[in-house]
Amino acid sequence: MAEPILVLDGIVKHYGDVTAVGPLSFTVDDGEFVSLLGPSGCGKTTTLNIIAGLLQPAAGRVVIAGQDVTDLEPRHRGMGVVFQSYALFPHRTVFQNVAFGLRMRKVPREEIRTRVRRMLEIVGLPGVEDRLTDQLSGGQRQRVALARALVIEPRILLLDEPLSNLDAQLRKRMRQELRDLQQRVGITTVFVTHDQDEAFEMSDRVILLNHGRIEQSGRPEDIYDTPASRFAAEFIGNVNLLEGHVVGADGPQVMVAVSETLKLSGVAARPGFTPREPVYLMLRPERIDLHRQPPNGQDALSARIRRRVFSGDVVSFELDMDSGHSLLCTKPSQDEFRTFAPGQAVWVVPQACRVLPRAS
Amino acid sequence: MQSSRKLLVAFLAPATVLYTVFLLAPVSLFLAFGLMRYDAIQLFQPVLTLANFGRIVLDPFYRGIILLTLKIAGLTTVCTLLVGYPVAYVLASGRSAWRGILMFLVVAPLMTGEIVRTYGWIVVLGSEGLVNRFLLALGIIHDPLKLLNTQLAVVIALVHILLPFMIFPLISALASQDPDLARAADTLGAGRMRAFLEVTLPLSRTGIMVGSLLVFTLSAGAVVTPSLLGGKDVQMLGQTIYDLVLHTLNWPLASACASILLALQLCFVTIQIRANRRALRRS
Repeated sequence: MAEPILVLDGIVKHYGDVTAVGPLSFTVDDGEFVSLLGPSGCGKTTTLNIIAGLLQPAAGRVVIAGQDVTDLEPRHRGMGVVFQSYALFPHRTVFQNVAFGLRMRKVPREEIRTRVRRMLEIVGLPGVEDRLTDQLSGGQRQRVALARALVIEPRILLLDEPLSNLDAQLRKRMRQELRDLQQRVGITTVFVTHDQDEAFEMSDRVILLNHGRIEQSGRPEDIYDTPASRFAAEFIGNVNLLEGHVVGADGPQVMVAVSETLKLSGVAARPGFTPREPVYLMLRPERIDLHRQPPNGQDALSARIRRRVFSGDVVSFELDMDSGHSLLCTKPSQDEFRTFAPGQAVWVVPQACRVLPRAS
Repeated sequence: MQSSRKLLVAFLAPATVLYTVFLLAPVSLFLAFGLMRYDAIQLFQPVLTLANFGRIVLDPFYRGIILLTLKIAGLTTVCTLLVGYPVAYVLASGRSAWRGILMFLVVAPLMTGEIVRTYGWIVVLGSEGLVNRFLLALGIIHDPLKLLNTQLAVVIALVHILLPFMIFPLISALASQDPDLARAADTLGAGRMRAFLEVTLPLSRTGIMVGSLLVFTLSAGAVVTPSLLGGKDVQMLGQTIYDLVLHTLNWPLASACASILLALQLCFVTIQIRANRRALRRS
């Protein structure tokens, strides 16, 4: 594999006394779609601005295609940036907006005309060249902003929450559209979002940020299945976390005691857990089997349904375990589970549990 | 519906009464005076005539006054714009630690009377004033410069007095701009200066227009500042009207002058608003 197109090496940024980012290091490969995911204030937008050159880091290096650009001004970096507000020039037409970057690069008039036209076709907006941007819908404005960033043939496309100003329906459609476009153009993309679904649906790789540091980085599947921490587990999807202790460790599997009556053996864990260590037992709600009768040949935990919520595609159950814990469990709604009712006794078989570290 | 209309009337009534009684009525009256014939004993005779306007247009003395008024008001407007824009830019960007102090300095001239401020300039610009003493002490000049009683002195003082009227509309125009606009231009290859010229400046056009209108109309009508700092060389329309009303007692001619001043100001307003609208439509 060729060397990565983007390298962030020990980036640090402070706002006053607060460390907003860092030290932060990661790389992005050529053609990769990487999401910076995290809650507000985690430093994801700051990181994006540092890559774009709009903010100067207090320490660290930004390397693009092997060239150290840390001290380079934004205009010399060749980044295509789409801002959250789109930042379209309101006193210019769609054509002038898209042509802006080419004009700054002194591209000949005729070439500007053809390239702008072609780019507007690529983003699916032909025939609006002469409109002012405030005459466009939210989705159209977003496409113009994309076209303006892409037409300069940037080395990297930087997207700062570009979907957050769209209504829910359009946002879902644009996710796919944006991903298709990125694949078609084959451009390396760094995408900032606080929306886990967006990050998962679109990205090759997700970098989960918290307090300016990387909490976890990996394919969406890996982060979902094997979160590295309580933060990662809770930020992404729904999760049951039960406090417990390691009772015995055997390589990648441990035995966990949540209470006197609730013990599970053969739980997957990263190596290195030692007996008596405080941990969380993590269960994803959709990885829990529910039975009306005690199943044969399996260790089942008895519980009672406290509450049932039907939401179309799935039914969710809140369960009271005999051990006193409560557990969230979701099931496909078209199965027998539709008939499960509050007050009913059930037997629970966890399918995929993991152990996460817990500070005591 | 009914009650909200009543409320609207109630809200607008005080201002409407004020404007009618103290602005529209006197303005209509003096416009009417301008069309009467001057009479040394009766002040005016109720005979309709265009003689007063004719005199102002044909007499080189009055034509000179009009041209000088336009020149000084125009210069003052351009200078306040050039001095005020950078200040407004810094204040609108809002991150500066000096913001509070700068804001106070901008407002400060409004807290003292016009006469006090003008006398301040006499102290600074006089032949024994600060500027001359400083330049003499440094040996840059050997005889005091004539700064006081010049057009320059009037323009300097007017710029100083009217600066807040330029800065505040500019601040509101600049502060309402999305800061990402200039940043977007920057990432597209514009650089700071180009981004300013292509994006920030044209988008602050309305602020420039409002500020220029205020400064131009106020400086064109100035009386105290040109009288105290301009000396004999500077005779502007405002002073002329003042003299004609209080000393010469030629009210019809004073009214004609006032009408012309008002017309000039309205002209400037119209040109500016037209230009602004055209620019908005073009882009």
